[in-house]
Amino acid sequence: MNDTTKSSDLTVDLGAAFEASPNPYLLLTPDLRIAEFNQAYVDVTGAKRSEVIGQLLFAAFDSGPGTEAPENVRQVRASLEKARDTRQRDHLAVVRYSMPKTLPDGSESFVERIWSATHTPILNDAGEVVLLLQHTIDVTDLSPNSQPDEPTTALDAIVGGSVLRRAQSVQEDNRRLETERNRLVEMFMQAPGFVAILSGPEHCFQMHNDAYSQLIGHRDIAGKSVREALPELEGQGFYEFLDEVFATGEPYEGRESVAQLQRTPDGPLETVYLNFIYQPIRDDAGAVVGIFVQGHEITDNVLAAQRQKLMIDELNHRVKNTLATVQSIAIQTARSNTDPAGFAETFQSRIMALSHTHNLLTQSHWEGADLRAILEHETEAYGHTRISLNGPPVSLEPAAVLSLGMIFHELATNAAKYGALHTPEGRILIDWALADQRAPRLKLSWREMGGPKVTAPDKRGFGSRLIERNIRHDLAGEIDLVYAPDGLIAELTVPLDRTASR
Amino acid sequence: MTQPLSGRRVLIVEDESLVAMLLETILEDMECIPVGPASNIDDGEILARDTENLDAALLDVNVAGRQVFPVAEVLKARGVPFVFSTGYGEGGLPEEWRGQPTLQKPFTEAAIRDALMKAMGVAQA
Repeated sequence: MNDTTKSSDLTVDLGAAFEASPNPYLLLTPDLRIAEFNQAYVDVTGAKRSEVIGQLLFAAFDSGPGTEAPENVRQVRASLEKARDTRQRDHLAVVRYSMPKTLPDGSESFVERIWSATHTPILNDAGEVVLLLQHTIDVTDLSPNSQPDEPTTALDAIVGGSVLRRAQSVQEDNRRLETERNRLVEMFMQAPGFVAILSGPEHCFQMHNDAYSQLIGHRDIAGKSVREALPELEGQGFYEFLDEVFATGEPYEGRESVAQLQRTPDGPLETVYLNFIYQPIRDDAGAVVGIFVQGHEITDNVLAAQRQKLMIDELNHRVKNTLATVQSIAIQTARSNTDPAGFAETFQSRIMALSHTHNLLTQSHWEGADLRAILEHETEAYGHTRISLNGPPVSLEPAAVLSLGMIFHELATNAAKYGALHTPEGRILIDWALADQRAPRLKLSWREMGGPKVTAPDKRGFGSRLIERNIRHDLAGEIDLVYAPDGLIAELTVPLDRTASR
Repeated sequence: MTQPLSGRRVLIVEDESLVAMLLETILEDMECIPVGPASNIDDGEILARDTENLDAALLDVNVAGRQVFPVAEVLKARGVPFVFSTGYGEGGLPEEWRGQPTLQKPFTEAAIRDALMKAMGVAQA
């Protein structure tokens, strides 16, 4: 405190002025350690310089053992921190704070005092807080409680008590308001929905909560305009809605709005769905000064609803297609079976074959099935010893599984009626291989032997038409049916990668 | 009984052979001449463009995972009337094709005849 400053032709010693002031002054570092105080401060607190310089304020003066002590400390600390953090002077009109006092017998006790304090931040050239100046006045003696005999003036009666009592009540109101405000801010910060307060015509972020940070990928947006903070929203309509709310004062509500947000730096734009409202904030004169943004991200719900609709549409499509397939089987089976018993048997076995193939596909969640499993399914009724299956594993897509299931069913039924499975000695050799690795094809031969002598049918029935159609039409493959005298031979070739050939 | 659509050439685009066979059978019963059936969009487009004297077409909307609308465009350009068939219903059609005669699977012979006659503007007998 040896600084001097020159005011015109008068040199003033500020340190001496500080020391000589009748007002108690205390200087604190920003971390609330005691840096310096003057004689008046010593007079009211009894502080010993050697004991308290460099100490934390609240370690040196802890307001004593009373039950209100922690609250008193909290009020003073809050005011100091507010002055430091906002770089604005803060007033505590009335605060109780007990001071240690040495009694005549030498023992220590605490005496409750009532203070009025002003906390002033002292800034350096860079605008940083370097010191906090506390100016305290002991107002205990102004309190009506301490002077019960003081007459109440007419003015006191009208305005509700003495100056101190009014100051106390204002201070109490301030404290209650601040507590309420803090609680609101806390609720705002922890709200599950996203919340932001935008200020001015450029929509600068004045405040935003955790959910908002999460929505935009934890970017540093404080104080920035919305165009600067979230540049990827250009052309998505949000800036314009904000401009309109600011200009007209009419709120805007967005339902299932799509936004493309860049949540990670240099990352891809992510699509999110939002329900939100832009609410104008007005000043006392009614002019719009900002916008309150509040909403929820509903991306998961929207995507789930879309998936569900897709699945229902797909299910409906498949059911209707399957019904059309069953209808076709019924009509064509009826045309080649004139007697009802024959129709019922043939129709039923075709429906069962279709159903078995569906079971195979259901087991794999409709991803496909293995060729051998399909063949085993369609031939198991005739016994393992009569059917020889020989070939590598071949996984087939669902459409091929359904077609081949029908084809093998028709071949096996035909063999049971007219071919190798019609006699106990007959056998069927089924061999297959994969050909051409670049455009993979399945080559399969079905050779019957040991059955009755074979003659080619006069006219092609539904079964053989169905086989040929399935191979050529559904699978874009080839089939050669040879009615050799020793037994039917079916040679079929099916491309396995049909997506490549389309 | 004379068939109102006797002798008409009708293109079929349908990927499931059993359903295609049913359509052929029904068309033959109506004395129509089935063209195709095409089991994919590419074959469908070729038949739609190159078949001479084509009178009408029955188009499955979802053909092996693709939508049939390129074939519909070719037919529309040629002025050939067509009917969609779908398991999704008319609601499954995009805006620009709404109002086109549409068959719901599974279908009856009467429904196919009515839809074709409506598309071709042939008066009911």
